[in-house]
Amino acid sequence: MPKLIIDNREVAVDNGATILDAAKKLGIEIPTMCFLSGQSPSTSCMICVVKVEGVDNLLPACGAVAKDGMRVETCSDEVREARRTALELQLSDHVGDCMGPCQVTCPAHMNIPLMIRQIAGGELGDAIATVKSDIALPAVLGRICPAPCEKPCRRSAFDEPVSICLLKRYVADIDIESAKPYLPSRKASQGKTVAIIGAGPAGLAAAYYLQQEGLDCTIFDDREEPGGMLRYGVPVDELSREVLDKEIACVARLGAVFKCGTRVGDQVSLDDLQKDFDAVFVATGQSSIDDLNRLGIEATQKGIAVDAQTYQTKLAGVFAGGDAVHQRRLTIRAVADGKEAAFSICQYLSGREATGVTKPFNSRMGKLMDGEVDKFVATVSGAPRIEPSQAGDGFTDEQARGEAARCLRCDCRKAGNCKLRSYAQEYGVRATRYKGDRRLFEQQLQHPDVIYEPGKCIDCGLCIKIAAESREELGLSFVGRGFDVRVAVPFDRSIADGLKLTAAKCVEACPTAALAFKDSATARSG
Amino acid sequence: MSDVDLTFVDQTVRKGGTGPERVLEILQAIQGHFGYLPKEALERVCELTEITPASIAGVSSFYNQFRHRPAGRHIIHVCVGTACHVKGADQIYDAFRRHLGIPDGEDTDAERLFTVEEIACLGCCTLAPAAQIGEVTYGHLTPDSVATVLSDFLKYEQARSRDLKQRHKRHGRGADGRGEIRIGLGSCCVARGSGKLHGALQQALAETGIEVPVKRVGCVGMCHQTPLLEMVLPDGKSYLYARVDPEDAKAILMRHFRTKGLRRLVNSASRVIDNILTNGNAEPVTRYSINVREPAVADFLGNQVHIATEFCGEIDPVDLDEYLRNDGFKALQHCLKEMSPEDIIAQIEHSGLRGRGGAGYPTHLKWTAVRDASSGKKYLVCNGDEGDPGAFMDRMLMESYPYRIIEGMAIAAHSVGADEGVLYIRAEYPLAIKRVSEAIDKCRERGLLGDNLFGTGFALHLRIAAGAGAFVCGEETALLASIEGRRGMPRLRPPYPAETGLWKRPTLINNVETYAAVPWIIRHGAEAFAKLGTSTSKGTKVFALAGKIARGGLIEVPMGISMRQIVNDIGGGIAGGLRFKAVQVGGPSGGCIPAQLAHVPVDYETLTDVGAMMGSGGLVVLDESDCMVEIARYFLEFTQNQSCGRCTFCRIGTRRMLDILERLCGGEGKRADIDELEHLAQMTRRASLCGLGKTAPNPVLSTIKYFRDEYEAHIEKRCPAGKCTALIKYLVTDDCIGCTICAQHCPADAIEAVLYEKHEIDAVKCIRCGTCKSVCPADAVKVE
Repeated sequence: MPKLIIDNREVAVDNGATILDAAKKLGIEIPTMCFLSGQSPSTSCMICVVKVEGVDNLLPACGAVAKDGMRVETCSDEVREARRTALELQLSDHVGDCMGPCQVTCPAHMNIPLMIRQIAGGELGDAIATVKSDIALPAVLGRICPAPCEKPCRRSAFDEPVSICLLKRYVADIDIESAKPYLPSRKASQGKTVAIIGAGPAGLAAAYYLQQEGLDCTIFDDREEPGGMLRYGVPVDELSREVLDKEIACVARLGAVFKCGTRVGDQVSLDDLQKDFDAVFVATGQSSIDDLNRLGIEATQKGIAVDAQTYQTKLAGVFAGGDAVHQRRLTIRAVADGKEAAFSICQYLSGREATGVTKPFNSRMGKLMDGEVDKFVATVSGAPRIEPSQAGDGFTDEQARGEAARCLRCDCRKAGNCKLRSYAQEYGVRATRYKGDRRLFEQQLQHPDVIYEPGKCIDCGLCIKIAAESREELGLSFVGRGFDVRVAVPFDRSIADGLKLTAAKCVEACPTAALAFKDSATARSG
Repeated sequence: MSDVDLTFVDQTVRKGGTGPERVLEILQAIQGHFGYLPKEALERVCELTEITPASIAGVSSFYNQFRHRPAGRHIIHVCVGTACHVKGADQIYDAFRRHLGIPDGEDTDAERLFTVEEIACLGCCTLAPAAQIGEVTYGHLTPDSVATVLSDFLKYEQARSRDLKQRHKRHGRGADGRGEIRIGLGSCCVARGSGKLHGALQQALAETGIEVPVKRVGCVGMCHQTPLLEMVLPDGKSYLYARVDPEDAKAILMRHFRTKGLRRLVNSASRVIDNILTNGNAEPVTRYSINVREPAVADFLGNQVHIATEFCGEIDPVDLDEYLRNDGFKALQHCLKEMSPEDIIAQIEHSGLRGRGGAGYPTHLKWTAVRDASSGKKYLVCNGDEGDPGAFMDRMLMESYPYRIIEGMAIAAHSVGADEGVLYIRAEYPLAIKRVSEAIDKCRERGLLGDNLFGTGFALHLRIAAGAGAFVCGEETALLASIEGRRGMPRLRPPYPAETGLWKRPTLINNVETYAAVPWIIRHGAEAFAKLGTSTSKGTKVFALAGKIARGGLIEVPMGISMRQIVNDIGGGIAGGLRFKAVQVGGPSGGCIPAQLAHVPVDYETLTDVGAMMGSGGLVVLDESDCMVEIARYFLEFTQNQSCGRCTFCRIGTRRMLDILERLCGGEGKRADIDELEHLAQMTRRASLCGLGKTAPNPVLSTIKYFRDEYEAHIEKRCPAGKCTALIKYLVTDDCIGCTICAQHCPADAIEAVLYEKHEIDAVKCIRCGTCKSVCPADAVKVE
């Protein structure tokens, strides 16, 4: 039984065991993509490389046999750098977006494509949950948002962008008009309190998410009623106050306490709030320097100075967001700030360092090339953008479904369970470090359940092995050589012919979204 | 349903069997028959054999040799090997396409007469730039000679089909006392017309009635002088003629040998012969005559030591009797009868022989490992997949000394306990395949291969496996995969082939040159071999010397000789008067040794230390007109295409290095590019799976190391060597005499002919092929 040392820990393994096996025995996790237990090692992705003392090169742990006396390092700087480079190389040849450009652009990063699919599928209950997990006031924003998300919509390359904002309004309207509007579950109270200064969009959003986490919020506002600029700035014909009231009511139903007509700085000082509450969130909207100074908080011409990532001010336990910080006058930005600040406040109150929301890794395909949009459109409704019957109206059920069917489904079907993406996140890769001409986007759709996107394939060959092992009549094969090697069905036949028996197994094994279910639970949950 | 007649497929399968390992052979047969691989034929193969659709799709798309669409009647293979590349192969390729009017995305002309393809290396580096059409090789091409080449080829084709109908009888040979005529028939010689010369000689002999045996001999190595003809007189005196024109064959013949009975020949009144008869020193003949004592020839041959190339230029490659007369198979006999395998391996160890394929692994260690491996079936393999562009040593050895390789293999087989062997020879070397296979047949007939050799009970069966165009198959695990009928994809070692090789059995794999050195070592003793060379690298090394060199060719030199000696003394320095800049050693796995380091001795360790690699032995000499960034780009273009595609670093890393190099050559480089390139090169070197990926960054790293200033110049959009077309333009200077030659030759119509006036080059139309500069009689074209 060979004995070896991995990361300074000794382990004995059976003859023929690999370094990966040995590490596993010690509970040391080595990342793998092309490796699948039960299959011979492909030694292809090279993300499992480790350093073996006395060996000049790095070795793939999945294939290298453990030898007596070996000393192995699995997470030295050199090893991590090699893994990062392997991932960066793979991503330099990855044709696909993890997230749709709409979701990336939306300041609140709402999972728009998922919402659209839920609308198309008639799953409106799920759709409102999707929307409200990122946007606290969707019915309001459905009326006043300038919809930055629609600008980069890939559908524009064909005709016009999907009418995202109205789809969101459709979901939100149906919900607030219903007998029992959506109310997210609330965790048990943590016994901690947060003072929120300002009941405008940022403050309301922060309260909405903090309440869900089991924190008790009190919202102070100097006006008579909550809503801030939404109530006192936006014209009534753009935003009916009834809609506003209904969405504020949701925040109240989660347990937030409103103290309207209370001006912090006059009736109560920031100092007092800092003493009485465990944290403070300043969301006073657009404010003058004087106002802010009177409040007792450092500000510049632009607004309150905060850490861009965590929304922390220089005062301990005091956070700030919305127009009080950057004066963008974009409600969706304020709502997004509220959500993200809430996240930081939760971290802070749980005694951890507040680090803010981690930006999810996102691979970008970049601008579509000639002809590519047609490949997308071929899979969805070719109808033109639907406009509501009258300007200012929302969508009818039929219109909403029709519009939802226009979405090109350009986000990734495996965004939530792609090894390439999760390791890219873990290793902090720069997806655009190595640039080269991008391959053409391609989707193979002939299979009833499975979609094949060669541009997302990392050539690990697992599907080829699985197909061969199950004696698929045609199966799959590597075709070509060098940089141009691709996985394909022999004789230019379709993926449906190639994978008659093993399609599902191949999807399971595929470390990326090269093979994915066309429409699955995982695809829908994003 | 289809118009493809599949009877041929059925016959092929019936003849050779249905095992999955036969896929390459079957594909080669189908391609030979149809000119490409019709889908219907492949599907038929899957129906008839155990070969799966996945296997046939994978294999047929892996190797360069295979085409999936019909080709024209003749295929033009434009060599883009290193030596050809530095002499403008790209322009030759473009010129063929332009001349044939082949549109982008196509490779065949409208009449479907010619298909133009690039080929990694024809191994005719001394003829660079070269192209092969059918079986004919054309060398020293220029962009404006392609038209002549095509018409010559068509003429040749016509003549050949006539010849096939009335082939004349061959002369007997071998009788002593009459002298003999030796004619070089290596690929280079053939390419330079020795085939035609051979025909002309035969005809002259028939016409004159002179009875002298004409003997074909292997490569003499003096490729720069081919075709070579040697007249050996009955008294043993010999006269060597270089660059002989077939028309002069008869004259040369009659100069040295008497015609029978003073027969008046019908055509004896030919002008040339009159010349000869009246004046022995007449130009047409003497211009070919060279003397081995002539300094240039003496230098070329003088520093050489012939071990793997023993009897260079003296023996007929496939004449077994002659090989036997020259001590052939004596070493084997001695080994079988008087030496134990342990003794032999000890001799090999004592000799210091190391693998000649590139990495230089001690040969005796490999042999010992296979010998010690579990008992039972063992194989031995000869690696003749010499894929480095710019290398042709193994081709020459296989074409010229097939018996020596077989004998070396037999000794090795006896030492390690193998009884079956395969010679894997790349498809681009048809002549090597032909000669080796003829040699195997003859050995078998004479009991030198087969069962019970020399009555000792030792058995050895050899066969040839033809490669199909994949550089990576030179890597031993890829080579084994290829023999087994799979895509040539390397796997992680260990286990080494000595443990788990062909068909999972212990297998000895050595390079052609390694085997070729073995009989000499046994006959002359390990001491004699070990006396040559340096402390770590013993014996000799065969190099293919090409590029910007005055005398290129195949040379065998003792280890430890310096690059400068090779370039200056043997190679005669740089051709064309430019300055010596660097030597590219070891092809895509090697690096560039700059002129200032040319004094270092040639041995495995030193070459690696200076950032190059022995490789298989291709030496491409570069002069100051060669751009080092472009050279790095050239090699990365090669490796990214030749990578098997398995591991991330090699598959994508080489491509991204190429992307950066292309940006640099295109004048779009950024400051950070050099660092990024180095980072990527280091990563690819350290984390690739096999030798191809690990060594692929060498051309980049060595050029950055020694020529960083050139990289920096490219970022500033300058190409100091004047090579990168995006960064240069051609200008006509005031020295122009208005002769219009440049305008006549310009393939892009970028120069208007205006007699007696200064010409101008239209920078937009100009394709930077350099033709104007090379044809200008007044040296009035400059590069800026």
